[in-house]
Amino acid sequence: MASEVDEAPLAGRTDILTSVQADLLAAGAGGTAAVFVTGESGVGKSRLLRETADAMRAAGAAVLNGACLDIGDASPLHPVLQALRHAGVQPGPGPADPAQDGAGALLERVSRELRSLARGRRLLLVLDDLQWADRSTRQMLLYLLAGLGEISLSVLAAVRSESLHGAHPLRRVLAELRRLRSVRVIDLAPLDQDATAELVRAIAGDDVAPEDADRVFKRSGGNPFVAEELARDLRDGRVELSDTLREIFLSRVDELPQHAHDVVHAVAAGVEPVEHALLARVLPLPEAELIEAVRAAVAHRFVTSAADGYRLRHRVVAEVLEHEVLPAEHAARHRRYAEAIDAVPGEPDHARLAHHWQQAGEPIRALPSVIAAARAAESLYGFAEAYRYWALALTLTSDDWPERTELLGHTAESAHRCGEHQRALTTLEQLAARPDGPGVCELHLRRARYLAAAGRTPAAEIEYERALAAPECSPAEKASAAANLAELLVHLGRYADAGVRARDALELAERADGSTADLVRASAALGFSLAFREDPDAGLAVIRQAVEIAERAGHPDDVGCAYLHLAELLTGPLNNVEEGVLVARRGAEKLAAMGQGRTYQTRLLAIAANGLFRAGQWAESAQVLDDAMRHRPSGADAVEILLSRCRLWVGFGDVEAADRDLDAVATILAGGGARHVLPMLTLRAGLAMWQGRHAEARAAVQRGLTETRSDDLVLLGVLAWHGLRAEAEAQAGGEVPVDPGAVRRLQAVVERMVRGAGNAAPPVRAVVDGYLDLCTAELSRIEQRNDPDLWARAAQAWDRRKQPYPAAYSRLRQAEASFSRRTRRAAATTAIREAYETARAMGAKPFAAEVTQVAARARVALTGDEDVTPAAPTGDGLEMLTDREREVLAAVAEGLTNREIGQALFISERTVGVHVGHIFDKLQVRTRVQASRVFLRAA
Amino acid sequence: MITESSVWGPAQREMADVLSGHPDDVPAVVDQLEKLQDVLERVPPLLGSNPLADFNKLYLTITTSVLERLFAGRFADPAFLARLDVEFAARYFDALRQWSDMSAGCPRAWAVLFHRIPGPDARPLPSAAAGVNAHINYDLPFALVTTFDHQGCDPVDDSDQHRDYLQINEIFAEQIPGLRRGFLEKWQLLIDMMNGDLDDWWQGELVDYTRNVAWRNAQKLWAVRHDLQAVGRERGRLDRTAEAFGKLLLSPMGAILQ
Repeated sequence: MASEVDEAPLAGRTDILTSVQADLLAAGAGGTAAVFVTGESGVGKSRLLRETADAMRAAGAAVLNGACLDIGDASPLHPVLQALRHAGVQPGPGPADPAQDGAGALLERVSRELRSLARGRRLLLVLDDLQWADRSTRQMLLYLLAGLGEISLSVLAAVRSESLHGAHPLRRVLAELRRLRSVRVIDLAPLDQDATAELVRAIAGDDVAPEDADRVFKRSGGNPFVAEELARDLRDGRVELSDTLREIFLSRVDELPQHAHDVVHAVAAGVEPVEHALLARVLPLPEAELIEAVRAAVAHRFVTSAADGYRLRHRVVAEVLEHEVLPAEHAARHRRYAEAIDAVPGEPDHARLAHHWQQAGEPIRALPSVIAAARAAESLYGFAEAYRYWALALTLTSDDWPERTELLGHTAESAHRCGEHQRALTTLEQLAARPDGPGVCELHLRRARYLAAAGRTPAAEIEYERALAAPECSPAEKASAAANLAELLVHLGRYADAGVRARDALELAERADGSTADLVRASAALGFSLAFREDPDAGLAVIRQAVEIAERAGHPDDVGCAYLHLAELLTGPLNNVEEGVLVARRGAEKLAAMGQGRTYQTRLLAIAANGLFRAGQWAESAQVLDDAMRHRPSGADAVEILLSRCRLWVGFGDVEAADRDLDAVATILAGGGARHVLPMLTLRAGLAMWQGRHAEARAAVQRGLTETRSDDLVLLGVLAWHGLRAEAEAQAGGEVPVDPGAVRRLQAVVERMVRGAGNAAPPVRAVVDGYLDLCTAELSRIEQRNDPDLWARAAQAWDRRKQPYPAAYSRLRQAEASFSRRTRRAAATTAIREAYETARAMGAKPFAAEVTQVAARARVALTGDEDVTPAAPTGDGLEMLTDREREVLAAVAEGLTNREIGQALFISERTVGVHVGHIFDKLQVRTRVQASRVFLRAA
Repeated sequence: MITESSVWGPAQREMADVLSGHPDDVPAVVDQLEKLQDVLERVPPLLGSNPLADFNKLYLTITTSVLERLFAGRFADPAFLARLDVEFAARYFDALRQWSDMSAGCPRAWAVLFHRIPGPDARPLPSAAAGVNAHINYDLPFALVTTFDHQGCDPVDDSDQHRDYLQINEIFAEQIPGLRRGFLEKWQLLIDMMNGDLDDWWQGELVDYTRNVAWRNAQKLWAVRHDLQAVGRERGRLDRTAEAFGKLLLSPMGAILQ
């Protein structure tokens, strides 16, 4: 059957065609590129997509085509899965257990399919009508474009510009993406006068009078689709009275033979592509007549035919016809579709079936398919889509429907899961009013959970308290309420209240044999509450106990959660980074051994990596992050890992890798995720400073300041320090002038921090004070009275925090200030040598380079006689030990006790104990003597 | 056929330069508005007194105040407010770009004001008010929906975000003395003349009131935001209402405001 009828040449788009291909091949550091083509209907987007795909296929790319549907609710990932199916791949639904980070696993599975299809070639994914894409598809697209799928992927997508007005989610996505170097957004404009004339001549012949071509241009406004039709009229000698797409189509439809007319209407009502067999059921004509009718519809340029079925040549046709059809006809056509799909044995496409029954005006017949589609969406982790199906099921049923209560329950929960907080709460109230609804206690707990997720914490607190006071609640339910409430209060910084609630929860749980999850939650809340109220040891003991309980119960989520809390407590408020890192790694190993809890493993590794970064063990931090990336994180977890890795690149001075990870972060954040914006901005500022781009650093900080809550003192501290440092370096560099306005604002922020620090919990205060020291010292640098004492104080503060990087930075500035004042040269020399040593040990190249410069200016030799860094030992049988473990082992071999080792290495005795335990595990020995023997043999 | 240079006259190129920027934070929005002001004041024949320059000047003042409050840490959820400010401004810049490109997509609510750039001149206050009308009654509900969507929260009354949003009313009240008490009765009169059944409209000051309408409209849009057709219908409705209002403001009737 004819697939295309005499297609007009692509006029006026040659340059754009070339540039689109070039853009699609100009992948960024992440290996991906994207071109989004926006434009009005009929301007030639689909055509451009088709031509580009052909050219890229000819040049050796693997090409996949997908189109989004305008049936209101499509199933999750529809265009991508459709494209895969089209290529002969049948991606199955997710695993049965949704707790196992299903969404990430699904993304990874789809990426794997795409990778195997690409077979090492560049993969071009072509998506038409992206404005109709569901949320899952948008997120998948961002995941792939961020390079997380590890595919050399180019995306070419078309978006109707009309849809981008208003509040379409793509509007924001495109606004963010267009800032990236590897993404182009092209607004396809109508043709100009010359290009229109070229098109007209190509269709109607070279002898077309210039004034006729001119008239076509004026009437079509350069819209190629309209111009093409007008040119055909010119060629055929017809008088066309209409100029708009709509009028042109209507007049053409009227000219169709009856059966072809029916075919066009049928395809317009269908979900594309409409398979021939389905069309034959919908239009019960004899085979030969049907084929004849289709042929006519194709010849009249309404319908196109491909291997997988029929499509309208242009979706505008469907929209135009929609207004011409009587409601009864419309319903009848959809009913025929629904019946035809129902008649096919096997599992139907529920989204499609639901659509047709609804349009047929038979909501109750749509219901089973709507429910099936909701469940199918849930199995694909498309909670937003699932929610819409459940909500639809509600509108299809009345209050007296037997399963109404169950539907309300599903709707509320899916709304909660996809972030429709308000709808979740209102649906829950409807559920509460049902005679067969859930009990009082469950309602309190669910309402509280939904309210907390919506950020309405005072209301959530009241609900939890109601649950605690309700006589209907069992002790186990009350334990759960108290545990959740305690967790909420910790987040609100109300540590004393949190402690009280957590103790209640633990007591209740003990009496009522509460769930492990509640025990872990309550213990963690109590632990944090104690730690923040200056009883860290007691807090630690509580969480350690929770870890034991979780391990005994053995559920991976509880184990992961307990380890996560312990590691956070250690690396956070307790500032025992070293042990926190150990705990985090041990937790990740435990979960890996259980073969589960991928999300928790990733999060634990992220904590370990961040701790190692702070402790100055950067090379090891990089290794841990590599491990974490191998778990293929997605969404917020991926952003956390990428940000941590980027921070390392900034420290190492690997600009290209840092830019790549920042772009990947920006790509994922284009889909939402406000809380990661600020860390991204500080990294941008840090990177810009090493590159001497102070204005850029300043802009990133200024933006950060406008978006930071005034009570987030730590974040303000980081930003203020970055900002003042940028101004100080502008001052020192002399190329970019200092911005007095920026300095004034930064000073105001510093004053705010000073005021706030007084009321902050001691662990927070300790961090804020460190940044305040840095800020004060930078200010002295800006004011050109660079004071070495201020820097020395900052260095000591960061020494106490056991963070070598900011300490070394302060020492460099201390030395620099002393050298320029020509005072205390000896102390300055010691300081700069220490800074240099730290920089070298961490691999902080740009920092080391700056140290070297300052030293050279001051004519100070950076290395003394003792310049002997131990060569990295290889193949000595101790490879599995970390650097720190080697140090501990060396001390053990010297016969030192744990206490002595702790004193020598500035770590706690208990931490030494944990290290020794790990060393024994790894070397498979049981005594210190055996361990020493292994060490001495290796040495 | 309008020739390309006729939209902004000799300022065409500079206008294109300014509009090629897509600011993504509030300081950058202020910067863009400043540049825009500079260009608008050079658009003949009215130069500094053209109605769009009147609006832009007011908008610049207001956005600068918002920025100062952001720096001073006066909002509960500054990430939300900053994003809203950027989204809000982006819609004004979009309308200007569409007008420059002579695109059919330019909202009619804005086109009413843009048409008057070459004259006849209108008084500064109604001119600015016409811009405020297009921006608040048409752009703001959509900017709100996009921002809530992006931040992952809902438009709920009495939330941190709602309170931050209402703070802007204070800024408007400070910046538009002309719309304060003395002029309110006239404004009321105008509304009454336009539409008889607007009794319940009147609750306080104009901007207060319209901004509240925008909040309500955003809540309405929020509920149907997944339904492209419903959003399209709502958009058409808002555009028509704002257009009618803008026409009234720029008519001789609007002059009674000042």
